Amino acid sequence: MASFKPTKIPIYPKLGEKVTQDTVYWKNYKAPVQIKEFGAVTNIHFSPVAPHNYAVTAFTRIHIYGPFSQEPVKSFTRFKDTAYCGRYRSDGQLLVAGCEDSVVRLFDVSGKVALRMFKGHTKAVHVTDFTSERYHIFTGSDDYTCRLWDIPNATELNTYQEHTDYIRCGVTSKLNRDLFITGSYDHTLKLFDARVDKSVITMDHGQPVESVLLYPSEGLVVSAGGRYVKVWDLLKGGQPLVSLKNHHKTVTSLCLSSNGQRLLSASLDRHVKVYNTTNFRVVHNFDYAASVLSLALAPDDESIIVGMTNGVLSIKHRKSPEESKEVSHQQRRRPSYRVFVKGKNYMPKQDDYLVSKPVREYLTKYDKHLKKFNISKALDSALQRKPEVTVAVIKELDRRGTLKNALAGRDEKALSELLHFITKNMVDFRFAPVLVPAANMILDIYRSVIGQSPVVDRQLLYLQDLLQKEINYQQELLDVLGMLDTLFASSVPRKELLCLEGMNNCTLG
Amino acid sequence: MATDGSRASLQLPCVFSPKSRQYLALCAQDGRLRIWNTDSKTLHQEYVPSAHLSATCTCIAWGPCRTVKEGPQRKKRKSEAGQVEEKADLLAMGTAAGTVLIYSTAKGALHCTLEGGHSGGVNCVQWHPEDSLLYSGSDDTHIVEWDLQTGKKRSNWKADRAAVTSLCVSPDGKLLLSAGRTIKMWDLDTKEVYRKFTGHSTAVTTLCFATTRPPDSNGLYFLSGAEHDRLLSVWQVREDGRDKNSVVSFTLTDEPQHVDLVPSNSKEEAVRLAVVCKDGQLHLFEHFLNGPCKKPLSPSCTVQMSDTKDSPAPIPLLAAALGADTRSALLAYGNHLQPVMERAEINTAERHVCLTRDIHTSLSLSMETAVSKVKTPVVNAKSKVLVPGLPGHQAPIKGTSQGSEKRKKDTDTKEMSIEERLGEIDLSTVSTEKGALKGKASLQTDNFAVLLVQGLESKDASILNKVLQTRKDMVINKTVARLPLPVVLPFVEELTKRLQGHPCTALLIVRWLKAVLVHHTSYLASLPDLVTQLGVLYHMIETRVKMFHKLTKLNGKLHLLMTQVATSDSSTTVTDVDHTAKLVYEEESSDEDEASGDEGLQDADSDNWEEEETMEEDEKKQSDNDEEEDPDSRTESKANGEEDMEHENESEEE
Repeated sequence: MASFKPTKIPIYPKLGEKVTQDTVYWKNYKAPVQIKEFGAVTNIHFSPVAPHNYAVTAFTRIHIYGPFSQEPVKSFTRFKDTAYCGRYRSDGQLLVAGCEDSVVRLFDVSGKVALRMFKGHTKAVHVTDFTSERYHIFTGSDDYTCRLWDIPNATELNTYQEHTDYIRCGVTSKLNRDLFITGSYDHTLKLFDARVDKSVITMDHGQPVESVLLYPSEGLVVSAGGRYVKVWDLLKGGQPLVSLKNHHKTVTSLCLSSNGQRLLSASLDRHVKVYNTTNFRVVHNFDYAASVLSLALAPDDESIIVGMTNGVLSIKHRKSPEESKEVSHQQRRRPSYRVFVKGKNYMPKQDDYLVSKPVREYLTKYDKHLKKFNISKALDSALQRKPEVTVAVIKELDRRGTLKNALAGRDEKALSELLHFITKNMVDFRFAPVLVPAANMILDIYRSVIGQSPVVDRQLLYLQDLLQKEINYQQELLDVLGMLDTLFASSVPRKELLCLEGMNNCTLG
Repeated sequence: MATDGSRASLQLPCVFSPKSRQYLALCAQDGRLRIWNTDSKTLHQEYVPSAHLSATCTCIAWGPCRTVKEGPQRKKRKSEAGQVEEKADLLAMGTAAGTVLIYSTAKGALHCTLEGGHSGGVNCVQWHPEDSLLYSGSDDTHIVEWDLQTGKKRSNWKADRAAVTSLCVSPDGKLLLSAGRTIKMWDLDTKEVYRKFTGHSTAVTTLCFATTRPPDSNGLYFLSGAEHDRLLSVWQVREDGRDKNSVVSFTLTDEPQHVDLVPSNSKEEAVRLAVVCKDGQLHLFEHFLNGPCKKPLSPSCTVQMSDTKDSPAPIPLLAAALGADTRSALLAYGNHLQPVMERAEINTAERHVCLTRDIHTSLSLSMETAVSKVKTPVVNAKSKVLVPGLPGHQAPIKGTSQGSEKRKKDTDTKEMSIEERLGEIDLSTVSTEKGALKGKASLQTDNFAVLLVQGLESKDASILNKVLQTRKDMVINKTVARLPLPVVLPFVEELTKRLQGHPCTALLIVRWLKAVLVHHTSYLASLPDLVTQLGVLYHMIETRVKMFHKLTKLNGKLHLLMTQVATSDSSTTVTDVDHTAKLVYEEESSDEDEASGDEGLQDADSDNWEEEETMEEDEKKQSDNDEEEDPDSRTESKANGEEDMEHENESEEE
């Protein structure tokens, strides 16, 4: 027995917008949690050890948040002035932070009072970090110097006076205990080696450097300053590899995704961009409400944390697998629990005969109507759905040759609903081939009664207006088509065959 | 200084009258002072200072309650003291010009103007609780003590290195707190610093005594709040002078805007505190002040207000005053021009309370009453001039006005966003549309090109929208001409995306696309992979244009139908015209009549009879033919009409 075939809904791709693996991945985050901090959030740093708390430096405080907490689990408030750059040590036990009052403070994560105070800088300290062997601290300051300190006896080991402007960013190498990189407002990046007590590589960024990032392999270094993000090869002595200009205001923060395949940059223009690190193309873009100052990704990209100038900390958590699935299968009704449990403990035996139960087909409302040949009702119920569905049903009715009957015999309200749908979707080139004949039919059917209902008349006038606009527009497009033809023709002589093939491909696909 | 200016412009003064809370004095954005009656919820008085635009009101303070009548009746009143109600009368307003206005609510007019004390804007005014003295603190770092009996300044001293932003007189009238960079406590008899308190890094906006001074003077506490600070600090004045740090702090959600406090008279009584923050939330605290407390205290109850729409929006609270018992509070909310007042019972057992109010209905109600009951005071006509010199409220002193202008400029340059700048560019194009200033216009398109490049680089939708919505051909052409070559292809890609939309918006985009094709022809033609680059665009246009014929036909059909409907509507009134049109047939018959007349004439010569008959028959045939042809000709005319319409349409389109 031939069964009823449900109406096929074609899927129309939208031109120009590609759904890539990246967009799927980066869109898979929940709505952000927003926390108001006391001032602009200048730095966010994740603890390297589980449970991966993170330190948020804002105004005169450092708050420690847990991975899913919405309130700080701990806060360090013993700063006399604005704090900067709160960073964890690699074992997650100690936290170091600079301050506007030039004193560097070292905290125990469980304590409250500073364990050590490092005094020596003469101006605000914006950069602090631990070296890889964990007993030294590296700092960079607005007094143009960067220094190394010994933690146990709180003494200064060395001072490097090579920069000629404020030092605002820097990182230490995670592999070598003696290497660290600083970025300064004098437009340069310098790689220092503590063994030779001077810089070994100098790279000119061209703009005041706002942020520096080392690749996990430490062969490459990424710097951000002005509107540019630049990638340098350290193994080739600081050769510039890539220069990216995808922001329209200063780039303030950089971050790598956990697998090292994606680079994220945050900027004052309120965007966060995601780059593919193999070809350095922008693969995704996040928009925020205010200028972004700091950015951090949790391990395994579990959450994206962004601090803004207005003091708002925005936290986006990744959707759990169940959640992202639920969205797609929300409508489906689950069988009851009893059905679920029944026969749960049954062990299949070898000579069991398996009876395949026919899968019951679920028909949508319009298909049910179509099956019963209630064509008007089918059209009515399809009108409530997405335009793709409605158009598919109209097409199906047209194929059956009953579209005229479905359209006829409508009262004022039903007709105006239909006309409303047509005016709304007429200009969509995907639907026009179906809707234009339908509109023609409607006019033929209702020609005699036009002018009796002001509602319908108004909609017809609106449709006419729209058609006029569309025709004007298409005429312009025809102009453009002519121009394009000329352009193509002028480039034909060189690669005639290739071009023609391309043309065919274009028109076909 | 700049921050002070912005603070004054942001925080509008809003004060309840003391004790009975009968009035709410509010100085709104328009510079007018409005006094609302909190019992009847109506506008009690409105007063427009003569210089309300140049010298805006920065602070308000209600004078201590006093009885209105004066002089000889005093004895009588003493006997009736139980009955006579004390009324709040005088209101001191500090202005940005450095003067202090004293307004009397009993008279409904300006009482006097205090001038000549300050060279900078007044930040704060405070009344002495008993003597008729007034203290004002100013941007010029001085505090002035005014004597209201004489209307002159009594003394004047430098209080701080920075502007004096806040003042508070102790309840017993012996001490004065002032806040500039540091908080200082002055002995009012000697005008000497009694104590200093440091701790706030920003300007202190709120000062308030929390206890009356008990016999053992370790129990004197006061409260301070600063701008951009989400903590209210409580300080203890200790006999031994060990009062370096604040003893208690209260956490808020934003900086405090209005603070109301019921002080405790003994150690056993809790201090009750209601703080309205800048974000429009009210926080209620209750705390026993007995020594330091390490942790910041969070509110015992937080009150928010929202409206009753489908998607509720918060209504900002403006001020709140605590009632006699713990549960009731007097709230003022809404906007400054039309505040809504309400005595609300707040369930303090809940940590968080949200009150929903239909602000629109209540607004309109108060509007009606406001119109009917406004008492219009005589503005400035008979104001008492007590200071020698020029009468009335004079223009501000030059130095300060320049200062304030500078401040404004500073904030302007800081806050100008790209959108605003673009808006200004739009204005400038309107003004230069006549083509008189070509140089300017070219500069402006240059900006557009830069913006467009930036927008394309960062794919910022708002910038692109702004640029692509331009309607002026000249701007489009120049912008495209200035477009650097590397961004041409990304631009075409962006245009392709936008071409798929509604014809209204897409029509604008086509003009950009045309401009690109015209201006960058050679560049595009030189591209080796041109076809693959523009293939998407070409394909998209082709698919869209496919329906052109059918759409045009449909349009023609619709046009015909709609015009017919229009004419049929009008034709019901002019049916006579149709009748005249039918006369054509009668003319033909008249021809026949003439012919019959001829017949009559020709009757005499009967030779041509047969010919005549045949003639008649021919004519009949002809007329039959005419009748047969008629419907055809009608349809033809219809068809012609349709064609004409189409021609017309096309001509319109062109």
